[in-house]
Amino acid sequence: MLALQLACNGIVTGCALGVVAISFSFIYATTKLFHVAHAGVYTLGGYLAWAMLRQGLPTPIAFLVSIACCTVLGALIQWQLYARLERRRATHLVVLIASLGALAVIQNIIAAVFTANILLFDLPWGSRVIHLGGDVRLTMTQLLTVAASLLAYAALMLFSHGTILGKQIRAVASNPFLAEITRLRPRRTHIYVMAIASALVCLPGILTPLDLGLQPYNGITPLLTATIAMIAGGVGSITGAFVLAVVITELQNLSLLVIPGEWSIGVTFFIFVIFMLFRPTGLFAAAR
Amino acid sequence: MRQTARFAIAAIALACSVVTASTSASADDTIRFGAILPLTGPGAVIGTEQMRGIQFATDKANAAGGVRGHKIEVVFEDNQAKPDQSILSFNKLADLQKMPLIFTAYSGPSLAMAPLATRKKVLLINAGAQADKLATASPYLVNTLPTIGDEVKAISRYLAGQGKKQAAILYENDAAGIAGRDDYVKYFPETGGTILAQEPTAFGQTDYRPALLKLADAKPQVMLVSITAGLLQMAQQYKQLGLKFTVAGTTFFSDPDTIADPSSEGFVHTQVRIDAPPALDAEFKKKYGVPMEFFVKQYYNAMQIVLTITDHLLAEGKPLTGENMHDELFKIGKFQGLIPLEFKTNTATVPLDINEMKGGKDVTIKQVSSE
Repeated sequence: MLALQLACNGIVTGCALGVVAISFSFIYATTKLFHVAHAGVYTLGGYLAWAMLRQGLPTPIAFLVSIACCTVLGALIQWQLYARLERRRATHLVVLIASLGALAVIQNIIAAVFTANILLFDLPWGSRVIHLGGDVRLTMTQLLTVAASLLAYAALMLFSHGTILGKQIRAVASNPFLAEITRLRPRRTHIYVMAIASALVCLPGILTPLDLGLQPYNGITPLLTATIAMIAGGVGSITGAFVLAVVITELQNLSLLVIPGEWSIGVTFFIFVIFMLFRPTGLFAAAR
Repeated sequence: MRQTARFAIAAIALACSVVTASTSASADDTIRFGAILPLTGPGAVIGTEQMRGIQFATDKANAAGGVRGHKIEVVFEDNQAKPDQSILSFNKLADLQKMPLIFTAYSGPSLAMAPLATRKKVLLINAGAQADKLATASPYLVNTLPTIGDEVKAISRYLAGQGKKQAAILYENDAAGIAGRDDYVKYFPETGGTILAQEPTAFGQTDYRPALLKLADAKPQVMLVSITAGLLQMAQQYKQLGLKFTVAGTTFFSDPDTIADPSSEGFVHTQVRIDAPPALDAEFKKKYGVPMEFFVKQYYNAMQIVLTITDHLLAEGKPLTGENMHDELFKIGKFQGLIPLEFKTNTATVPLDINEMKGGKDVTIKQVSSE
């Protein structure tokens, strides 16, 4: 029972992290920017949804408006921050510092407006328990997280491989110089990428706090794990990032069967360090 | 030329001293103390209670004319329950604002400030944290409630009496949580019990499911809990996972949101006994819209102790320094605020209750001693 429940919990957390990882990977593969402020967008999504629910908006509307706001914020960050820095030929380090600054600003605004206290969503359906058999229990929120994350993954794959814009984005990611010559307008494409990725990351940004509560500084840990998943999965591989995020959280959860909890994160990442020594390009690098 | 320069320096120094003296004289009417509490962050619910307790007592004292004609003011600093932030706040209050006394809460921050309190002779009054190390951390750190060890002994005896002798421990991986874990490991077996498993969590973490599942796998009769934040999330996840063992803890279970939530039904814990007269409770409720919760009473009571010390020192014509306040506290020894307190050591001796959360309320089921 323990192993099964831990595995199910791992899938829930992994799917949520998987969406963070694919959205981060989508940005990095196309823009080559280490968009740390993505953690701020992730956090803001949950707070906006919480605030709109408090104002009495219906749940789906609140979630959709929150996603729309994050989409706009992502586009704004690219348009007004990264694009400007790029035009001024800023180095990657400068852009990274600017991104860290943007993250600090978002987090501090959230803490100032909403306080740094743990806030809980008042949605009773979210904590309703569903028995999956074999004594495995998941809440509605957890099930919704899995379903929404898988849908988000499928949608991004479909978009990336089945639409003209998706193919344009892949072309820009593959060769920005050629994309510029062929009038694919990489800068505009980067704004689209950032907007889409911000909309995607808003999903786990809402659903995870729906289960565990909101805190203004809780976006960094998921982003860190997502980054590792992206690298281990193979930079640019959406499937790789998603699968590795699930594998990492599964390892973290299932390792509890054999080692104490305080060692699980350390041991999991140690395994990945060893793995990266033997396959530095990542697991799915060949599938790009 | 050199003589002129010396004269000029002396004149400037004299002018400065006159300005300083006049500033001190104008500030003489108001006596200022400090309070470093978690007013935001995961500990903010309790920190706000603590702040209100101090402020409520201060407002009442000032409304009654202050202490021997002196108004009292408390300057609050937010440390988010973080030791590093507490150090910055302590230095600000002690060095820049020359506060002789500072209220503190939470074990990590209090332990971090303790060496500074000793060095700078600033009296730290703790009415909220309970790590065992606080008892001996500094002669200038005074605790108005018992340590976790005292409470763990009491809850262990109660659980043994209920036949619950197989336990697992969920603890927070910080000073307070580890102190509680160590106490459970030390004292629970002394009552004939056995610790089957233990799992840590990080302060502020809200996903307790992996730890709860692992502990549940050890099939304990009771889970001993030593966490100071995220109690409500832990209770909700315990309920969602359908766990059946008893959940037991200490005064840190005194969280109004958790008590009111149906998921905490049946949780048992020790509770430092402290009662407010109905009139005082009503007055507080009128002002803040909520009843006097545990930590409000604790810090109200602590402020009463501070006011008593201040009154004694002013009556004796002694300056309000940290050293004098420390000496006067032990000279008085016994205080009668909301509860009778006695300082034989740096940690007060107080009565304890065993409470059970029932129907959204915290009900006393047994009264015991903290000895």
